[in-house]
Amino acid sequence: MVDAVAKPPREPGSVKRFIERYPFLPALAIMLLLLALNGIWQPRSVSLVGITGLVKTYMALMLLAVAQTYVVYAGDIDLSAGAIVSLVNVVIVAAMAAMGDSGFSVIAAMAIGLGVGLACGLVNGVVVATFRLQAIVATFATSIFFTGLALWIMPVAGTPAPATFWRAYGGRILEIPFVFWAAAVLALILYLLARTRLALQLLAVGDDAQGAYQSGLPVTAIRMRGYALCGLFAALAAFCVTGDTASGDPLVGGKMTLFSVAAVVLGGSALAGGYGTVVGSVFGALIIGLINSLVYFVGTPSEWQNLVQGLAILVALMAGILVGRRARS
Amino acid sequence: MAKLKISGARKAYGATMALSRGDLELQAGEVHVLIGSNGSGKSTLCKIVAGSVKPDSGDVVLDGKAVTVEGPRAAKALGIGIFYQELSLAARRTVEENICLPDLSMNGPFVDRTALSERAGRYIALFEGVAGEGFAADARVDALRADQRQLVEIMKALATEAPVLIFDEPTSALDRAQVDRFFEILRRLKTEGRAMVFISHRMDEIFAIGDRVTVLRDGRTVGSSRIADTSPQEVVRMMVGEEPSLAAAAPQASVANEAKRPLALSVSALAGPGFTDVAFDVRQGEILGLGGLHGQGQSAVLRALFGAAPVTAGSVTLDGAAYRPANPRAAIRAGLAYVSGDRGRDGVIHGRTILENVTPIHFLRNGLKLASPSALRAKATPAVDALKTKFAGFSHPIGSLSGGNQQKIVIARWLIDRPGVLLLDDPTKGIDLSAKADLFALVRKLAAEGMAIVLYSSEDAELLANSDRILVFNGGRIRRSLQGAERTRFNLYEAAYEAA
Amino acid sequence: MSRLLDLARQPLLVALALIVVLLIVGELLSPGFASPTQIMRLLIVAALLGIVAAGQNLVILGGREGIDLSVGGVVSLSAIIAGNLMNGQDAGIPLAILGCIATGALFGLANGLGVTLLRIPPLVMTLGMLGVLQGLLVVIRQGIPSGRAAPGLSQFVTQPFLFGLPGIIWLWVAIGLLLAFLLSRTVYGYRVYAIGSNEQAARMAGVPVAAMRVSLFVLSGVFAAIAGICLLGYSGSSFANVGEQYMLPSIIAVVFGGTSLAGGKGGYTGTMAGAMMLTVLQGILTTVNIDESGRQMIFGATLLLLMLFYGRGRAMRA
Repeated sequence: MVDAVAKPPREPGSVKRFIERYPFLPALAIMLLLLALNGIWQPRSVSLVGITGLVKTYMALMLLAVAQTYVVYAGDIDLSAGAIVSLVNVVIVAAMAAMGDSGFSVIAAMAIGLGVGLACGLVNGVVVATFRLQAIVATFATSIFFTGLALWIMPVAGTPAPATFWRAYGGRILEIPFVFWAAAVLALILYLLARTRLALQLLAVGDDAQGAYQSGLPVTAIRMRGYALCGLFAALAAFCVTGDTASGDPLVGGKMTLFSVAAVVLGGSALAGGYGTVVGSVFGALIIGLINSLVYFVGTPSEWQNLVQGLAILVALMAGILVGRRARS
Repeated sequence: MAKLKISGARKAYGATMALSRGDLELQAGEVHVLIGSNGSGKSTLCKIVAGSVKPDSGDVVLDGKAVTVEGPRAAKALGIGIFYQELSLAARRTVEENICLPDLSMNGPFVDRTALSERAGRYIALFEGVAGEGFAADARVDALRADQRQLVEIMKALATEAPVLIFDEPTSALDRAQVDRFFEILRRLKTEGRAMVFISHRMDEIFAIGDRVTVLRDGRTVGSSRIADTSPQEVVRMMVGEEPSLAAAAPQASVANEAKRPLALSVSALAGPGFTDVAFDVRQGEILGLGGLHGQGQSAVLRALFGAAPVTAGSVTLDGAAYRPANPRAAIRAGLAYVSGDRGRDGVIHGRTILENVTPIHFLRNGLKLASPSALRAKATPAVDALKTKFAGFSHPIGSLSGGNQQKIVIARWLIDRPGVLLLDDPTKGIDLSAKADLFALVRKLAAEGMAIVLYSSEDAELLANSDRILVFNGGRIRRSLQGAERTRFNLYEAAYEAA
Repeated sequence: MSRLLDLARQPLLVALALIVVLLIVGELLSPGFASPTQIMRLLIVAALLGIVAAGQNLVILGGREGIDLSVGGVVSLSAIIAGNLMNGQDAGIPLAILGCIATGALFGLANGLGVTLLRIPPLVMTLGMLGVLQGLLVVIRQGIPSGRAAPGLSQFVTQPFLFGLPGIIWLWVAIGLLLAFLLSRTVYGYRVYAIGSNEQAARMAGVPVAAMRVSLFVLSGVFAAIAGICLLGYSGSSFANVGEQYMLPSIIAVVFGGTSLAGGKGGYTGTMAGAMMLTVLQGILTTVNIDESGRQMIFGATLLLLMLFYGRGRAMRA
């Protein structure tokens, strides 16, 4: 009989070890599967035009999912992410409207937008990390505040963004669609951020905040920086929303918050913190997009589409968690 | 001049006094042993020095200058490094990341992975050959065994290269070779002039590595002496104080009618994670002791019997009927009771009242639906009084009690409706001496009244003093059964250390 | 002085005091705000939120990051089902109540099973369920009319019934008494706190943890369904996503009532006060003459300010 006591820890299988190291792999597999299914039902959807459209529409959610991931790393959550998108959207549209349609005004407005996103992130960081309020309720309260600010700046939706802005977003540079350039830059930024001290520290805080504190890590400042990063990426998401919709809308981002959380979970990150990747969240956002398009392509009657999408996302969320857990156990 | 001097350190958590007067004088180039029973305040004192606990009062003098340690970061800056007993590791990060986490090597804005690996590698190399299978720089900490995690925490503390190093029970899970290697390192650090605090419960280790020993009892420093000027007996005497010896009331092994008593619990060929081929009988009125070194399967067997850990093979008979451990609920209904030594995890319902903590078993055993506080109080009072529990009232929060009294409440929940078999899994871990005495007085009384009791204790003296018969575990199997006059410390040790 | 400080730490007292302060502020800003009719109107609105928060409260008390984001969807679904089952006829009320409660229980059951059997974190499970519910609402809305409240139901919710108070307020009071009894005088209640405080210890003490947790989610669905029926009575007919406004406020009401989001600590009496406080605050903001943006900013900032009174996390260095 095998002596159960002296047994060394189980050698994890190579697949398991692979998933452990790259938690986004299940998400990547689901995404490729959905892409293939999309291609089967609608070959044009996997053409350059189709993919461009998908990326163009879901770039904002990808960025917001990335934003959410940095706070989730540390075991926090940001329910105001969508409200930040709305606020930055109306701020830059209003700023560009005030400064006129020119390249300079676009750049200046984007700088202002990033500043606003950063400020919102810092506000969240202060209430959650410094004041130690519960992240769920505190960021819900800030989301109401940010939405109020957005409504103050632009009470009703519809102010158009200048043509320079949305033409650039929908246009091409060197024959390559702009959104692909943006995606490439995003990939580079994510790669560089993953190598910073902050990424490692956020994950360590999410893993065991008390342990991280006892190791001498400045836990409050680290969580605060996570929220700041979240605010900045939410601002980038707002740029994409603005490019896609070509107008300002004080409520445009509200619906995106919960989808960003879903994308993070789909991407294999643990909401409890300490485990995950931003790349996974990007895939998670694309999974949501691909589910939505697939439901449309298979010819689901329009009134059933939301239900089928909802069910498919629920199943994907559950499957992702179960697969991830099995791989880790 | 002392490298570090702490005087009058005090810390209370609500009603619980963790440390009432901690004093310690640490010299450069020495290994200073801190010793005291569980809950005597050693860890609190260490954490105060390391900045992770804020003292109510007390002075810290470092290199002759009064300092206030504002937090772990400040401690790091002052040159104080610490090994935490409960470990401070990020489970899902790698070994090398954990070692370097407090002070990451940077290359501009980025973490310098090469330098990090190189630096971590220096500390990993210190334990080369003894770290065991699966230990690697890029292994995730949650994939490691308990001893390997402890090694990572040691490496992390060493990597601070702090002049003052505190090791709070660094060797509890290590094997002999690992301890030897660790002591070699400590000796080298001593020659470098580092000042080190070392906590351990193993007397041989203390005398092997210590230069000076300071003893804590009930939250106070009660004495300090050079190791060369003292003896293990003397240290134990200081730890225990003037309290009556536990062994004073040895059980009167009632051999006379033992065989006539009916069997309460019979286990044969039981196996599960951590134990194999375990077989024993317990009669009504008998106290069966499970002995051996810590973690040799004793606890696993008890948890498995209670349905809280899996069983892979074997059979169990309870009061003459076949019993299959499925879950604690079924076990309780079948008449089993289980008291865990880890009361914080398995016993206490935190933040709730004493009444809520004492009643859950009564509800289940009687299939109650309604909870009338006055009726419940009346039911619980005899059980709680039987343990001489000191408490202000049933509506007070459990947290207002000392550790020993909390454990008494947890035990009392089993006594409202008497179980047939009581499983005690190191029930006195971390509780004070008088509470232990009360507990064992009750255990012997319960046995005298016919209850069958299975007792595992990590303290051999307790086991020897209270068991009618002792089964010695080693490597997940029962190696010896000690009865009557065989129940000696010598036989217990011999069987426990016997090569498996 | 220290006794006073102790009182100030009692969330229920803080909430009640704040309600009085808010009522006075409202009366000063807009005379007539604290008139009996107005207070009754506020109570009706608070009762709707309070009933949703009852289920939310139970799920949160049960611990293990318990939270139910799907309550808003269940409220909407229940309102539309009730509207169709009664379709303006009093005779349809019993069937509507049964149908709605069954629906709510079903979705709660699904949440509970996902959380316990598959061990999906409650936030994720109920978030996914919210998406399903929203999709289902679209389907139902296409297939059937929005439905009308039976006159009896509208009367129950809006017209005086006993001692000048409408039936819904009595219902709310009854739920309050029921939950107070359940939580403090029944084994079930003791077990809710036990699993919320220390799930492992509860399991070792023979508490059927999984069954308990499932039952809490079922109750949450049922309370949301009851709130949906009442909401239909309040507004006369149901409209799209009418319940969404309850999702996060139900959590805030629970927090303001002194229940810890970590579980195992708190109760429903405080939540009732919390729901009332939120409603009065919103009432003031709708009464005073400022535009929507200002209202939202003040609301958000006030919520943050109030949260400083409650459950701030433990400091790292204790």
